[in-house]
Amino acid sequence: MIRAENLSRHFGRIEAVRDIDFHIRKGEITGLLGPNGAGKSTTMNMITGYLAPSAGKISIDGIDIVESPEDAKKLIGYLPEQPPLYLDLTVDEYLDFVTEFKRVPKNRRKADLETIRDLVKIGDVRKRLIKNLSKGYKQRVGLAQALVGNPPLLILDEPTIGLDPKQIIEIRELIRDLGKEHTVVLSSHILPEISATCHRILIIDKGKIVASDSPENLSGRLSGASGAARQKLLIKGDADAVQAALENIPAMGSLSTGKGPEDGLSEAVIAAAGEGDIREDVFRALAAADLPILQMGPMDLSLEEIFLNLTTTEEEA
Amino acid sequence: MLAIFKKELKSYFLTPTGWIFLAVFLLVSGISFATQLVFPGNSQYTMFLTGLLFVYLFVVPLLTMRIFTDEKRFKTDQLLLTGPSNLWGIVMGKFLAALAVFLITIAVTFIYPLLLSFHGKLDWPMIIGTYIGFVLLGAAFIAIGVFVSQVSEGVVSAAVLTFCAIIITFIIDFMQQYMPTTEPSGLVWAVILIALPLSWLYSSGKNWAVTAAVALVLAVMLLLFWFFGRTLFFGLIGKSLGWLSLTRRFGSFSMGILSLDAILYYLSFSGFFLFMTVQSLEKRRWS
Repeated sequence: MIRAENLSRHFGRIEAVRDIDFHIRKGEITGLLGPNGAGKSTTMNMITGYLAPSAGKISIDGIDIVESPEDAKKLIGYLPEQPPLYLDLTVDEYLDFVTEFKRVPKNRRKADLETIRDLVKIGDVRKRLIKNLSKGYKQRVGLAQALVGNPPLLILDEPTIGLDPKQIIEIRELIRDLGKEHTVVLSSHILPEISATCHRILIIDKGKIVASDSPENLSGRLSGASGAARQKLLIKGDADAVQAALENIPAMGSLSTGKGPEDGLSEAVIAAAGEGDIREDVFRALAAADLPILQMGPMDLSLEEIFLNLTTTEEEA
Repeated sequence: MLAIFKKELKSYFLTPTGWIFLAVFLLVSGISFATQLVFPGNSQYTMFLTGLLFVYLFVVPLLTMRIFTDEKRFKTDQLLLTGPSNLWGIVMGKFLAALAVFLITIAVTFIYPLLLSFHGKLDWPMIIGTYIGFVLLGAAFIAIGVFVSQVSEGVVSAAVLTFCAIIITFIIDFMQQYMPTTEPSGLVWAVILIALPLSWLYSSGKNWAVTAAVALVLAVMLLLFWFFGRTLFFGLIGKSLGWLSLTRRFGSFSMGILSLDAILYYLSFSGFFLFMTVQSLEKRRWS
């Protein structure tokens, strides 16, 4: 759907995006993740044709955005970081303008707008001036604007910014639904945002892509071993006793113990030597030593850790 | 283009801008109508319209100052520039909407000659001719305003710069006669005129070889003109400034002459500034 090759963008001497390549497949929800100023918005502005790349090429469904912008732009619905709203118009007036501007055929306009209004739930503010709407509603009107004309590709720059938690969940669900029929690219600097909705994540830092994979794989890849191998335990009992009880398990690969968060509790991080599952052995060994397990769970790196990991290694390099 | 035109026109009358434009223009023209024509019992309507030209100074900036500055301020240009419309469609839509507000206002002033016609005989062809010139001149000023609002960052600076640009076209006519007319002065002026695009050429390409080659060709041409067609330089400063004088060409209209020359001049003047606006929008994407 989107193919970017050797994409670069300078603003004067500042390099906002440096020589990135990516390919986004049809029907995928892709998340662009990166700290503020990483080049997410610049990349999105280039995909949508708002900015021209300093070097490199972008094609949308095989159509080059610089060579035939009008054809390519028809395929894109774009919600920029700040929703492009005309504050003096009412919601209905604004959406009518957008439908006409995006050349939706006359006989489809009414039905289309009806569907969109239901989808983003702005039916009850239709007659109000946009300048009087709350941030959350403005964001939804911005999203409605991107959906006009039912474009196959949606580019959403920080779609949930400024929304309350309930609205965030609603918008996430909406994006997931939209992802069934559209190709969606969304950006965020907030991780749960991305991991909750996206099939694939592109992590951008300082204008470069530092990782590109599914949320699960990214997490697995960085934890070093295969996902289930490392376990974290919270045990009632003394750390030394735990150490003694676990040391004797034959399949144990690595083991570290320490004081827990409260008095009388201790923590242990364990990993099997091979591919095998040692959780049952751990349970029996600790039960025999009368050390009750309060918690045991896989210790994948969370996306936050991956993120920090990737972006800080980049810094050192 | 039509979508933008309709939306812009609507916005003019949803916000105070359109109404203020109407009110100021009609107030000034009304006072002027009453004091110049009604009370003295004068029927020189074309003279009255010519006298109204100065109102452009104040009302055109009002009409055009927001056209692109607000799009940039509220980032709505991201909607326009990522939509399936070309830049000409956007610029023309906005220009025509501003022109429409202007035409509506002008249409209201038609009441004045109608009122006069009850009391005396008016020279209608001359009045219509003057109106045509009046509208063409207005269109040219609006085109300047559209361009200025695209290149300036804020609403206030757009208004002030448009005001300055219009005032320059007013005084240029008057300044023209005080310019030196000797041939050497014309040569100096020609060199300055050539140096400006050359410096632009260099700054945009940073290419010494190309700039030097172009400069050499132009210098040779200048020398040829100097030795074989020296009369060209006589009064060159005044002549070239005269090309910018919008008000001077209005004279033929107010005499009832529909000169194709003047009509084409105004249309191409407007066209040039709209073209520059499109270029400036395009440039923003690349820099």
